[in-house]
Amino acid sequence: MSNTSANILDIKNIEVRYDNVILALHDVSLKVPKGKVVALLGANGAGKSTTLKAVSTMLASERGKVTKGSIDYDGTSIDKQNPSQMVGLGMVQVLEGRRCFGHLTVEENIISGAYSRKLSKGDINQELEKIYKYFIRLKERRKSQAAFTSGGEQQMIAVARAMMAKPKMLLLDEPTMGLAPQLVAEIFNIVKELNQKEGVSILLAEQNTNIALKNSDYGYIIETGKVMLEGTAQSLLNDDKVKELYLGISKKGRKNFRDVLKEESLNKRSN
Amino acid sequence: MANELLFFMEVLVGGLLAGTMYSLVALGFVLIFKASATFNFSQGAMVFFSVLAFCGFMQDFNIPFVLAFILAALLMVVVGLCTERLVLRPLMNASEDTVLMATIGLGYVLEGLAQAAWGVEVRRLDLGIGDFPVPWIADNLKLFISALDITAGLVAALMIIGLFLLFKYTKIGLGLRAVADDAGAASSIGIPLKHIMLLVWSAAGVVALVAGCMWGARAGVQFALVDLALKALPVLIIGGFSSIPGAIVGGLIIGAVEKILEVYIGPFFGGAIEGWAPYVLAIFFLLYRPEGLFGEKIIRRV
Repeated sequence: MSNTSANILDIKNIEVRYDNVILALHDVSLKVPKGKVVALLGANGAGKSTTLKAVSTMLASERGKVTKGSIDYDGTSIDKQNPSQMVGLGMVQVLEGRRCFGHLTVEENIISGAYSRKLSKGDINQELEKIYKYFIRLKERRKSQAAFTSGGEQQMIAVARAMMAKPKMLLLDEPTMGLAPQLVAEIFNIVKELNQKEGVSILLAEQNTNIALKNSDYGYIIETGKVMLEGTAQSLLNDDKVKELYLGISKKGRKNFRDVLKEESLNKRSN
Repeated sequence: MANELLFFMEVLVGGLLAGTMYSLVALGFVLIFKASATFNFSQGAMVFFSVLAFCGFMQDFNIPFVLAFILAALLMVVVGLCTERLVLRPLMNASEDTVLMATIGLGYVLEGLAQAAWGVEVRRLDLGIGDFPVPWIADNLKLFISALDITAGLVAALMIIGLFLLFKYTKIGLGLRAVADDAGAASSIGIPLKHIMLLVWSAAGVVALVAGCMWGARAGVQFALVDLALKALPVLIIGGFSSIPGAIVGGLIIGAVEKILEVYIGPFFGGAIEGWAPYVLAIFFLLYRPEGLFGEKIIRRV
């Protein structure tokens, strides 16, 4: 992963602060190669959402700021961009918690995703049909008010809405939060399909480590605003520490990487 | 008996039509509430500012009626532009309460600017429509209904149809409804908030101008218009803050109820209950139906 032009996203050593004071990210570097799925894993408050918002430039609306480091998207810095410009460049974030427009119908929700594109009515209908192929369930419910659809359907609406912007890259923030296992699998199948058939690169923030890694090419694990471990999805799935800390196959009372590192350094000293 | 019924009809129709004047003012509030979730306290000042400028163009510069109206409408777009750039954008991430306070300040600025530019005396606005009963209706239906009231009713109907079409069938209307539901999510899919804000404030400005013309023709163009606009508050509570049909129906209800109460119950209180009866009605709505008749119910999944 040394060839930079192969990476659609390249984050180098960023530090993020909220309100100029609260340090949310210490030092996060990660790369997303073109056409790949990269998982960003970690517990609540580890900094997953902050990382995604730094990339989509939505930090400003929460009084956050990238104070150190750099973020390059498609070879250029995103320093001076705002969220609607990022969407124009093909980078769309699906926010945590679905965030559908509750009073709009399912179809209006999806169409709203095409706002940044200059499309005729006919083009929009064509795009809609294309999107409905991936989200068959939504086509059946397209006239209902989004607020009255189920959690799984709302997540699909959020992803479908983002796809209408014709993204080159999707940022998915906990797409399976609060969903039943069957729906989790369904969402991941759709994500995988979008990645393979539409060639969309994906950066995926998840707490559900197991299923996220099974559907990704590469993974990063962050804890308290720092990348603790990275590797191919397969190697992370087989890693003993990941198994112990994130996949719930625990033998000792260690809770996170910091505990592991502390223990290791103690062991070294006693040796 | 027939005479009494006729009199009641006259009171009712007169009230309903007068109510459309409230509806016109309320429309401006609804537009801004939809986009910013803020009660725009400067709406009254916008009414005053716009219609005073309209009068000023006509009377001080002898600009013809239509051109003066267009100029005043353009001026309101400029006001919208300045508001977005100087007030709303810096407060983009501030709480709704902060924006609310800013609109109070904006109101004072507009009142001051208007009076500094055009003077403080009451102006007469002649729209060429008399505020007296239409002879044809008086002769044939035996109802005395003012021509100005009928015009206001028609104008209000046209504006609601126009706004409905704008929201339901245009791209920017969809954008506006999306922003009204979840501004953060709207910006995440590339809907530029500043365009939506600009549209909404300009539209509210033009609506204020139309409302100001109607009220100005009736009561004279004067400072009291600012407070008159607050009559829109009970209208909005009854109709719902976020609903355009609600603003219209709320206005009709307030207009009709206030006239009927004034005529039939007023004498028991020594008259002049028009001023506070709408607020009593509003309190009942707040107690039993706080989202108003047409307000968007807060939908929550369980």
